[in-house]
Amino acid sequence: MSLTLTCPICGERNGYEFRYGGEDKGPRPDRAGLTPEQWCDYVHMNSCVAGVQKEWWFHRDGCGAWFTTHRDTRTGLETDGPDSAAQK
Amino acid sequence: MNRLTHLPTLRIRPESRRDIHYRGKAHPAAAGDTIATALYANGVRIFGRSLKYHRPRGLYSLDGECSNTTMSVDGVPNVRTETVPAKAGMTVKAQNVVGSAERDLLGFMDALSFAMPAGFYYKTLHKPAPVWPLAINRIRKQAGLGAIAPGFKITGVFDELYPRADVCVVGGGPAGMCAALASAEAGLRVILLEARPWLGGFFDYRAAAHPGGGLLYERARELADQVEKAPTIRVFTSAAMTGAYHDNLITAVQQGGDDDPFDSRYLQIRAGAMVAATGCIERPLLFENNEKPGVMQVGCAHRLARTWGLMPGEKIAFSVGHDLGLEAALDLAELGGRVVCVADIREDGQDPALAAALADRRIPYLKGWVAAEAQGRPTLKRAIFSTITGTVQKEFSCDVLVASAGFTPVTGPLDTAGARLAYDNHTGFFLPTDLPPKTHAGGRIMGLQDPLSIETSGRLAGLRAAVDCGKRVDDAVRESETALASQPGPERGSKLVTAPVKGKKTFICFDEDATLKNVRQAMAQGFDVPELIKRFTAAGTGPGQGGIPGHNLPLFVAQTTASPDKHPRPTTVRAPLVPPLMAEYAGTNHDMSKRTPVHDSQAAAGKMERIAVWNRARVFSKSKGARAEIENVRTNVGMLDASTLGKFRIFGPDAVKALQRVYAGDMTKIPSNRMKYAAMCNDDGCLLDDGVIVKQGENDFYFTASTGRAGQTVEWFRFHTKYENWDFHLVNLTDAYGVINLAGPNARKVLEKVADADVSNDAFPFMGYREFTVNKTILVRAMRLGFVGELSYEFHVPSSWMQALWDILAEAGAEFGIQNFGLEAQNTLRMEKGHVIIGSESEQRTNLLDLGLGFLWDRNKPEAKTVGAVALRQTEDQKGRLKLVGFKMTEPADRPPKDGSPIVDDRIRGYVCTARYSHTLDMPVGMALVEDELTPEGTRLAIFEDGCEGNLIHGEIVPMPFYDPDGKRMRM
Repeated sequence: MSLTLTCPICGERNGYEFRYGGEDKGPRPDRAGLTPEQWCDYVHMNSCVAGVQKEWWFHRDGCGAWFTTHRDTRTGLETDGPDSAAQK
Repeated sequence: MNRLTHLPTLRIRPESRRDIHYRGKAHPAAAGDTIATALYANGVRIFGRSLKYHRPRGLYSLDGECSNTTMSVDGVPNVRTETVPAKAGMTVKAQNVVGSAERDLLGFMDALSFAMPAGFYYKTLHKPAPVWPLAINRIRKQAGLGAIAPGFKITGVFDELYPRADVCVVGGGPAGMCAALASAEAGLRVILLEARPWLGGFFDYRAAAHPGGGLLYERARELADQVEKAPTIRVFTSAAMTGAYHDNLITAVQQGGDDDPFDSRYLQIRAGAMVAATGCIERPLLFENNEKPGVMQVGCAHRLARTWGLMPGEKIAFSVGHDLGLEAALDLAELGGRVVCVADIREDGQDPALAAALADRRIPYLKGWVAAEAQGRPTLKRAIFSTITGTVQKEFSCDVLVASAGFTPVTGPLDTAGARLAYDNHTGFFLPTDLPPKTHAGGRIMGLQDPLSIETSGRLAGLRAAVDCGKRVDDAVRESETALASQPGPERGSKLVTAPVKGKKTFICFDEDATLKNVRQAMAQGFDVPELIKRFTAAGTGPGQGGIPGHNLPLFVAQTTASPDKHPRPTTVRAPLVPPLMAEYAGTNHDMSKRTPVHDSQAAAGKMERIAVWNRARVFSKSKGARAEIENVRTNVGMLDASTLGKFRIFGPDAVKALQRVYAGDMTKIPSNRMKYAAMCNDDGCLLDDGVIVKQGENDFYFTASTGRAGQTVEWFRFHTKYENWDFHLVNLTDAYGVINLAGPNARKVLEKVADADVSNDAFPFMGYREFTVNKTILVRAMRLGFVGELSYEFHVPSSWMQALWDILAEAGAEFGIQNFGLEAQNTLRMEKGHVIIGSESEQRTNLLDLGLGFLWDRNKPEAKTVGAVALRQTEDQKGRLKLVGFKMTEPADRPPKDGSPIVDDRIRGYVCTARYSHTLDMPVGMALVEDELTPEGTRLAIFEDGCEGNLIHGEIVPMPFYDPDGKRMRM
């Protein structure tokens, strides 16, 4: 796998160690006033950006952290390091 | 054959002799021989037969560029014998022959070539329709090169290595070595890949003078010496690159030599920058019978003599288009070979010194001439030469014809790295116009032929790679650029593509038997770009991966087409650049699996089965369907090793919040000393996992997960709490603890004997949780639950205590006749109780409510954004969903339907999930997913069983569980 990812805890590692967690869609919506369509969109719909996307990754064969990072979907390569927000 | 000895360029050690077996005879080979050179030394000229026409084929390139010399070696088909070293005891067989390579009974296919025009496979024999199945059967038997024996298992050590480097240099010739040295001098770690077993490239076998002094091969050895002494250069020889991927990930396959501890090794190199210095291969000359055994490339003939000490033939003719060919002709003559003539495509532009030397040796030198036809059966006997225009012809008797039109840069590494290539009119090369980031090229691949320019451009590429890796060597870069500008630039390449022939047996691709005539046929049918012609004629789709036709096809198409845009366009090159074995990708293939803490005692008593990562006991008794084990649990007492169960501890101030998020039930209501049965859903409300939770302290819980789900549990908890950053710890105790399930009406009698606690029904009731010691030693976590539907205990103990506890229970139960039971028995026992297994009785569409497990969802729990709760709420009253039901069989009433059989009326209404003959109930019962209209008790189900030929079988909906519906036996 040509992808490498920068884990906020372990640093740059081989992409084989990680599991993809989908694009970043924000926190789960509140139940109040939630229509089935909105819910379905949140769970199933993706933006499928052709460009830099903020997304979740899980360091499965490593420290076990979930973190967000930025990846260019056209090249499949990480563009920036992980978000500082996810490092808390 | 006598070898030339005492040549300083030799790469063989004749004193180290080994035998390889071919056609029932031992053939001696020297250390350093490839299989192909060893056979050639023993007089073998025909190595196999071609794909379609069964034409004899022989040595051509010595670099494995075509399938001519692919053979079966020790049962492995399609081994490229030109690149695989000869090892002692190898058994080699010719491919695609009926009889032998020399006398192939299918040789008549060559005369039938008129019946196999381009694309015949797509067009002929399709009508009338009944002919096609017969034809395809025949064609498939005939098609393909090597055959593999059914049941053949490859042996050998297939290693793998994943190194990192700052700079990866592909190609260990003069340019590659200079690049590696330049990067290493800048302080970088370098990996140097070379496909041949030694460094040196096209300097290695040449005795011509180097403009910088000395001879070329001496310079090659000098550079190789420097490379080997450089502490930061790691050299992989016999390592052919297979592909380049994003971010300079480079893969290669390395052949193991005599002293290597592996047979081959997969390399995956992550490099900061890449330098491609792969040089050139030769562009085949196109003329009639241009692949007849005896016709070979310049490098092949020259290296046979210089590297392996084998004079290629008795009478050697040359038809070349470059000075390297003239040099080879002179060198072979110098070494004692008889060169009958040298034809040169070029009228002028030759090195005058070489032309003069040919004249000195009285070798006929024909300028503006080219080989037009090779003749002789089965190998070359004579060659017809003609002028380029085809007006005059001459015949020369020869057994080797060295033919080469020009050079083709090996652009595979750049292609796969994503470089753009364009045709360059001066060199006749496809040269890189746009290199990807951190990718450089140097040497002959850039069209350079002068030794000094090659070295300088290699050095420049290495320095540029160093700049990419953050080294400040800009001054050195400028110095090299200036030096390169003052040295000879790219040489003009020959433009000739084909001799003046019709092209009926002029092969543009040897692997696929594609001729010039085939290409013309394809173009006549409207195919106008090489990429499409390649697919229609199959030229370049063989194991050689376009090595032979890759350059000629676009040139020929450009010359032949009437289109104004006559710039040749290259066909796409894709990884793998050389064909690796599947075994090489598989690598060492450690079959990793887990054993439970009592594995040895289980394996000694029963039959083990590998299920996902675990080895588990499937069955202990010999009775059909584990009947004896089932009856023993129902009437007496049995023991199951349930250690594979997922076991976790969650603790911390926010532990309850996390549990509330992922479990459907209300996790604020977990009583002390009792278990809570709980289920996890996904966002669609589908059941993912179920298990029990016990409270061990304030904000401290122990819970179980199903075997198959244990690996993802931590990930799942963390994923669904990822925005909150809650403070909790989650520890996977699956391997730290083992589990024994003691089940059956006599279970308590066994436990009472060893437990240091009151385990009566009042003191330790159903769904209770207790911690006590066994035999005053082993602390167990005991849970009373009933997956199998009987009085049942689960004991969770540290793995190291498992075997001891197992033995204690077995001893205590001996007087009751305690027996082991396995997974097979457990599956029937739980089915009789209507307990689902996720994936067997549930699927993507079925949610918790559909499975009748709605009681596990607390719709009134405090809002926790519980995973799946929204979907459950929205589908609560939805019509038309599949629901889980139990059924018994009515017609026939004595056997269960096959699992997975559809349930039908005028359309499909559901399907059978699991059905078994229940010995306890003495009838076949099962569980099915059916549309909600069919769920009322007594509904008749029509089941379409595979192979029933329209004779449906029938069942009837009955309430679940089938066995002990009130659950009295679990509570007794």
